[in-house]
Amino acid sequence: MRNLFFIFFLSVFAIQAQTKMDPVNAKALQSKVKALSKTSQTITSDFIQYKHLDFLNNDIKTSGKLSFKAPDLVKWEYVDPFSYAIVFKEEKLYINDNGNKSKIDIGSNKMFKQLNGLIIASVKGDMFDDNAFNITYYVDGKNSLVHFNPKEEKMAKYIKSFHITFNAKGDVVEVKMIEPSDDYTKIVFSNKVLNKTLPNEVFAH
Amino acid sequence: MRYLLISISFILLFSCGSYTKKYNLESVDIKNSVIQNPYFSSLDKDYVYKANIEVYDNTFGGLFIVKKISKVEHRIVFTTEMGNKLFDFSYKESDFKVNSILEALDRKILINILEKDFRVLITENLNTIEEYATNNNSVYKTILNKKPHYYYKKEYLNKIINAKGGKEKIIFTFSEISDNIAKKIEIKHNNIKLKINLKSIN
Repeated sequence: MRNLFFIFFLSVFAIQAQTKMDPVNAKALQSKVKALSKTSQTITSDFIQYKHLDFLNNDIKTSGKLSFKAPDLVKWEYVDPFSYAIVFKEEKLYINDNGNKSKIDIGSNKMFKQLNGLIIASVKGDMFDDNAFNITYYVDGKNSLVHFNPKEEKMAKYIKSFHITFNAKGDVVEVKMIEPSDDYTKIVFSNKVLNKTLPNEVFAH
Repeated sequence: MRYLLISISFILLFSCGSYTKKYNLESVDIKNSVIQNPYFSSLDKDYVYKANIEVYDNTFGGLFIVKKISKVEHRIVFTTEMGNKLFDFSYKESDFKVNSILEALDRKILINILEKDFRVLITENLNTIEEYATNNNSVYKTILNKKPHYYYKKEYLNKIINAKGGKEKIIFTFSEISDNIAKKIEIKHNNIKLKINLKSIN
């Protein structure tokens, strides 16, 4: 019962905190994010990932580092509580699972290709594709929150919605991927640095 | 005819007992009529393991998550490191339900294997039908998934063997045990190239 109250208050609070953004501001946010995305040649950031499964007492917390180099090099590296890195490079996926290295060719796999595209897009927040998503804009205090709901059935089967939170500069501070069951993965970025020189060795396998 | 029957019975008897013979298990009186597997038995705990699965020549990893939902219910979910759910199973007494599974993994034969393997992990109480002793281990024979399983216990439960004839078909190993948690679990299939390694991360 107490939980029910808590959920009720939380949702009331959430409704109050998030109001729909007017179309003019939505357009302005889009331009700001796209402009920032275009000028972001490199990105490094720490992240904390929270995996929420409804039946668990606590979210599963993992953390690590993200490196991005334009146009399409991404390294997603978990440091705690295990060591695991995944590098997206030239249509291939390089995995280093605590020293065990493997490689997946994603050239022929549409799903992986999409995933790769999405990861790059969500790192920069530039997912404003009306053909692929139903997009709604909210004001969330000083931040902006955008819901991207996949239109394609195959994708929607796995991800119901991407919620991306942008700060006032148009930079991504949080990505939440919500599954059809309402379980979700939330990634919170911190110590983000843009356009610092990043040698290719960072993405070496 | 009678000789044939006798020899068939003899062969059956011999082949049923051959695992214990092959591994020099010495039959003893049953002291513990119920065997316990405590490793996924707490209602309060979220069990989270980093998993590594070697199947034929492919290796892939993820998070293996087990939660005891009620006295008779377990939920088992496998996700990638990045959080995408690969499968989501529910066990309630003898019932089994696939809540979701990635299309590429949705094969009856695979689901069958996983269902049985994980049922071994989460089944808490089993009836001993025979008891043996070897190398300081007590070995309890029980029936699970309609097959004979041998539970090896020293101080703790450290091994479960699914044996067929004289062969070890599936070997479950539990190690680094403290506080009713096995920090390391290995499930190794001998008749197919499948090995699952689990390492507790919480």
